[in-house]
Order: sequence, then structure tokens, then C-alpha cells
Amino acid sequence: MVDRAFDIRRLPGAATLAITCFVILYVPMIILVANSFNTGRVIGEWEGLSLRWYAAALQNEAFLNAAATSLILATMAAAVATVTATMAALATTRSRGFKGEGAIHLILNQPIMVPEIVLAIALLIILAQVKQITGYTGLGYLIIAHSAFCIPFAYMPIRARLEGMDLTLETAAADLYASRFYAFRKVTLPILAPGILAGFMLAFVISLDDVVISDFLKSPGQDTLPTYLLGELKRNLTSEIYAISSLLLLISVLIVAGSWLVTRKKI
Amino acid sequence: MLDIRDLTKSFGKGDSAVTALHEVNFSIAEGEFFTLLGPSGCGKTTLLRLIAGFEPPSGGALVLDGQDIAQMPPNKRPVNTVFQNYALFPHMTVAENVSFALGAQGRPKSEIAETVGRMLNLVQLGHLAHRKSGELSGGQQQRVALARALAPKPRILLLDEPLSALDMKLRKEMQVELKRLQQETGLTFIFVTHDQEEALTMSDRIAVMNGGRIQQIASPRDLYDQPANRFVAGFIGETNFLSARCEGGQLFLPQADAPLPLPHRDGPVTLMIRPEHVVMGATQQESLALTAKVERLTYFGTDTHVHLRLADGATLVARVQNALRGGASCRDGETIPVSLPADALRLLPQEVA
Repeated sequence: MVDRAFDIRRLPGAATLAITCFVILYVPMIILVANSFNTGRVIGEWEGLSLRWYAAALQNEAFLNAAATSLILATMAAAVATVTATMAALATTRSRGFKGEGAIHLILNQPIMVPEIVLAIALLIILAQVKQITGYTGLGYLIIAHSAFCIPFAYMPIRARLEGMDLTLETAAADLYASRFYAFRKVTLPILAPGILAGFMLAFVISLDDVVISDFLKSPGQDTLPTYLLGELKRNLTSEIYAISSLLLLISVLIVAGSWLVTRKKI
Repeated sequence: MLDIRDLTKSFGKGDSAVTALHEVNFSIAEGEFFTLLGPSGCGKTTLLRLIAGFEPPSGGALVLDGQDIAQMPPNKRPVNTVFQNYALFPHMTVAENVSFALGAQGRPKSEIAETVGRMLNLVQLGHLAHRKSGELSGGQQQRVALARALAPKPRILLLDEPLSALDMKLRKEMQVELKRLQQETGLTFIFVTHDQEEALTMSDRIAVMNGGRIQQIASPRDLYDQPANRFVAGFIGETNFLSARCEGGQLFLPQADAPLPLPHRDGPVTLMIRPEHVVMGATQQESLALTAKVERLTYFGTDTHVHLRLADGATLVARVQNALRGGASCRDGETIPVSLPADALRLLPQEVA
């Protein structure tokens, strides 16, 4: 008998553990989505299939406002984060190693490591002052904050794509009379595009999903989808929340699937 | 047309600096097929990158048509490169790849379309113009890379081991193809390779490099017949080396029966003779006569290699064409007379090993 390489799948209990994890992850979501189609008002009592709660949600102005806020916020934050992350990724892969490169990596990835609540409190203290001085209470604060913590998520796929790209291509472009800008526009950027798109989508989903920072920094009367849902949960628990959550889940799944599709393509 | 003067390149700084090129000097004429030949690490690719402008030289001048281009960025030099891995733009079609340089130069659309058509015909790829470069075979990618580099009509085409990724049969075909292209376009080619056969069959002149220095620049025939030193003699073709002495116009080979009159500066020399020039048996020609023991015969189809051992233990290889005089008629273990004809002997300066 030939010795087999170590295979974690053959470890006793591995299958059970994996299945348990998947059950805990997905069964509640399935129940949530199923309940969103429940006719009844009370959670846990199935009364029949209907789109009633979706209709109710789409007529609920507070929900629609929160959804619009969330989509605008996520789009803006993802855009800022993606542009910044693209520049950062170009700087860290296209230049010879420079002093402080390690520090820049740490700083860029800090939002992944630092507890979000700490960042939220720190931002709250400063932005509360700014709000008082300027009197501005709009979406700007949330856009800035979301942009900041979305950068590492946008940065990762972009950098991965850049590292996988053959540097000779840029040399070849220069050899073929391309200026730096022409080479970037015609060669580097098109090859990088799937990474940038994936980075944008990832940042978008991360922003869309954020509760802690949004809840700390939002001005009175302002709500994003997650903070709206949180508020609703405290007040009245109806199946409408299931419908809204299901919609949020659908958007996230679509975007993540899209991001997977665009990055799947090899360089 | 291209004059390379005292060109030097070092990498790194201070004590850890490595000199990749030591004051290289040579000139290339218009329309020449010039090859840089040497083992890996000899500096041939570095030299090519300096000519292309991908690296700045540490010293010296690169004069193209009377202008020093040593400090000019690559996108300003009228020099194009065929890369070892082809470096085709994967997101573009064949036609887009070939038109890239013309687009970067801002040439009019009609001229671009006309040139791309002509280039694709030249490399016989017109039917694949709208394929993505990743969908092509190695040989086809090679042709696209050639067409792309030729399209902007460079003064010099640089080729960095362009055939090394192809299999043997395709490589032979591309050798012929490249030579034909070069003759048809009348363009100056600088070709880098470590394959001596490729260099011999294609080049007008070859620069043999080793350790960042040019060892010899000559035509393929002269390199083979008149190598300047032991490195060149050993790198190009197969060779026998024997230690000998010159004294008073005579060549003394310790293993030979008698000295041979040969005018040369007195002192120790390395005697070189190609295996095909070693004569089995005695000869009427003026030659050094030796006695050798046949150690081993190796059959190669067109010829047989006879491995001989001389009295003092030195070895000698003779190559006998099998179609000639019935081939090698000796047998293993036999002791036979061997002649080294005077006109096939080359004396090289003796080098400290």
C-alpha cells in the first residue's frame, strides 16, 4: 500500500465539524429568506406564501430612504477607496522597494486589524467636534469613514492582479514608442481592470454591510440600511424585516458573484 | 551605423557591485545580421538591454547614426525588441498588437491599417489578425512578436533568444524564416543566443562573449577556423587542445615523434585541432606524427568519433565521416599512427587554467 499524503478530509470528525459549520451558517439564512415570503405577521407561524412584505417594504419610505442612502454611500466610498487602492497598489508593486514600504502596508491594512468599535469611537470624537464647528450634518462624514476602511478590501484584489502581471509587457510598450501614460492607459490599466472592478465590488459590499461605524457617525435622522434594520428590530418585529434583509442578501450575493466572475479570467 | 564605445555596466553599489559588461567596443554595419553569442551570464542580454534602453549604462557611448543614444529612454529610440517570452499584449488581438507602436506614434489610421496588413502578410499570419494573442501557438506568437517589432520600421531589430522557447523542428524553420525576413527587409538585426549552431548558421558576424567581455568578433567561418583564444575555440564546435612549446621556429609536441617547422614566438602554447582534421594513420602532408591507442568508438550516423589516448595520458578525439573511405576502420584497444596536419593546427596563447 502506498503511503498517502496527509489529507485533512480523512481526519476523524472533520466532516462532522464542516457540516455543522455550514448548517449554522446557511440554515438561518434559508429560514430568513423563507419567512420573508410568509403571509402571516407573526414570526414563526407559517400562514401561506405571498410577496406581501416585499410590497410593504417597497412602499415604506423610511426603508427606501435608508436604501438610497446606503447605495449612494457604498458607491461613493467604493469609488474613493478603489482609486486610492489602485494608486497604492501601483506604488507598492511598480517602484523599486523604498524606505517605509512595510509601514505603508501596515497603514493600508490597518482597518482589517483594528477593532471596528475603536475606529468608530475615535472617529466619533473627532467628527462630533467637526460637526459642531462646521454645522454640516450630511453624508460626507460617512463617505470619508467608509472610504477609509474600504481601502484594504479594494487594495487586495488590485495588488494580486498587478503582481500576477508580466512586467515585460510594460517594457515592451516602452520599447514600442509608448510614453508612460500611453503604456498605462493601453496596457497596464486594461490588464488591471478586472482587479479594479473586483476591488470596487468588494469595497461596495463591505460598505453596504457596515453597522458599527455608520451607527456611531450618522447624524440624527440619517439611516443606512443596516442601521435602519437595527432600529426596526428594536421597535416592531414584522416579516417586513425579513423581506428587507433578503433584498440586502440578494444584492450582496449578486455583487460577490459578479466580482468572482470578473476575477476568474486569467491574465 | 551603430558604434559601441567603452560601454560598461555595473549592478549594485560599493563592494557588492557586479560588473556585467567591461568596456565593450564594436561597430555594426547597416543591414548586418550580428549575433551576440555566449553562455548564460556572459553579459549578452545586458548588452542588448542597454542598446534597447531598458537599462542605463554605467559608462561609455552608444552612437546610432552619429547620435549618442546612451541616455535616451527606450520609447525614443528607433530600435525595437523581440522578447524571449514574446511579451505580447494578452488583452489585444494580433492586429492590435502589431499596430501598437504605430498607435503610440500617432500615425494616421489609414497608414496603420496598411502597415499592419503588410506586416501580417510578411509573417504569414493575415488569417489570424482578429485572434487574441493567447489563442495562438508558440510559433505563431513568435511571428506576431516579429511583426509587432518590425511594424514601426526600426533602424535596428533586437532579438533576445527569440527561438529558445520553440521545439527543435519549429526552431529550425524559424531560423530560416528569420534569415529570409532579414534579407528581404534589409534590416540590421542584433540577435542574442547561447546556441552556437544557431549563431553559425544565421549570422554575418558573431561576437562571442564571456564574463562580460567580448572574446572575439568574426564571421562564423573565421570564428570556427581561427578562434582567438581557448574559450572561443571550446565554445564553438568541438576541439582538441594539447600543450606544446615553440622554440627557434619549431613546434615541439611532447607526444609527437618529431618537431614541426612553424614560425611562432618562443614559449608555451596551446595547440588546437578540430576532430575532423585529425587523420587516422600516416600521411604525406606536412604533419605531426603520433602514436595513439583507440579507447572507444562512438557512432553518430554520418560520422564516428574515435576517442584516442596518447602515450602520456592526454586524450584526442578524431571524427571520421562514415561515407569516406569506409569510415573508421580501427578497433577498440588497437594502437595506431595518427597525424595532425600542419595546416589544420592552430596555436593559441597558453592560459592559466
